Amino acid sequence: MINFSRRFFLRIFFFSSVWFTLTGVDITSWVVGVPAVLIASGLSLMLAPPSQYQVSLAGVFRFIPFFLRQSLHGGIDVMRRALSSRQLLDPGLVSYTTFLSEGSARILFANTISLLPGTLSAELHGNSVTIHTLDRGLPIWANIQGLEYHIAALMRISPGKRNSS
Amino acid sequence: MVPEKKNMDILYHSGTVLILLGLSFFLSGTVGLIRFPDIYTRLHALTKADNVGLGFVVSGLALQSGSWAVTAKLLLIWLLVLIASSASCHLIARSAMQKNIQPWTR
Repeated sequence: MINFSRRFFLRIFFFSSVWFTLTGVDITSWVVGVPAVLIASGLSLMLAPPSQYQVSLAGVFRFIPFFLRQSLHGGIDVMRRALSSRQLLDPGLVSYTTFLSEGSARILFANTISLLPGTLSAELHGNSVTIHTLDRGLPIWANIQGLEYHIAALMRISPGKRNSS
Repeated sequence: MVPEKKNMDILYHSGTVLILLGLSFFLSGTVGLIRFPDIYTRLHALTKADNVGLGFVVSGLALQSGSWAVTAKLLLIWLLVLIASSASCHLIARSAMQKNIQPWTR
């Protein structure tokens, strides 16, 4: 129980900082802010119960530049295909089985796939992700594996362990 | 006083350059939305180009603001938009898959 209330307060602190960053020093904004923070904390505990993950700070610092570089590539890639006078699309579906465990790791994985160059996560079934790609000629496997390893490092999941769920 | 003003000018103009760069990504995302053949390829165009575009606009505005509080707020807004757009992109693609909409192929 002590553990639970500690987690609740951590989330209240987290959402309060989000609210404070968005609204600044305006005191009256907390008329809306206090209920919003309380509801968000409660909902987040219900929808995303505390997990066994230990987020690694070093992993975060390696993930951010990787993420920014890949998003930029993704944006430039789409820009090139959209503006070119020739048809540069060769789309297709591929399926990928991930070793990342259920929960935040897998959700972060599915969401960031959509920001890598030329890939988009279309369906997530257990540990299998269906990926739509703009161009089957792209190094999709290498990109996705790179992302998977970055997320594993971020959440301190050992890559060898494959969940059969 | 004078060098400081010059510094502010450099920040302001680099900010303008970044914002224009961001707008060109928004424009190309919209061109892709119109030109690409099916729902999946259009989702690619919208999410990726707009996220990068917003990233540049946010960095440009942060440079022009000259304030850490505003910079933090802008970065947070970018992060929230990233989360919302990649989640909604996934949901739209998933619902298209469940409706058995076949991807366009060459």
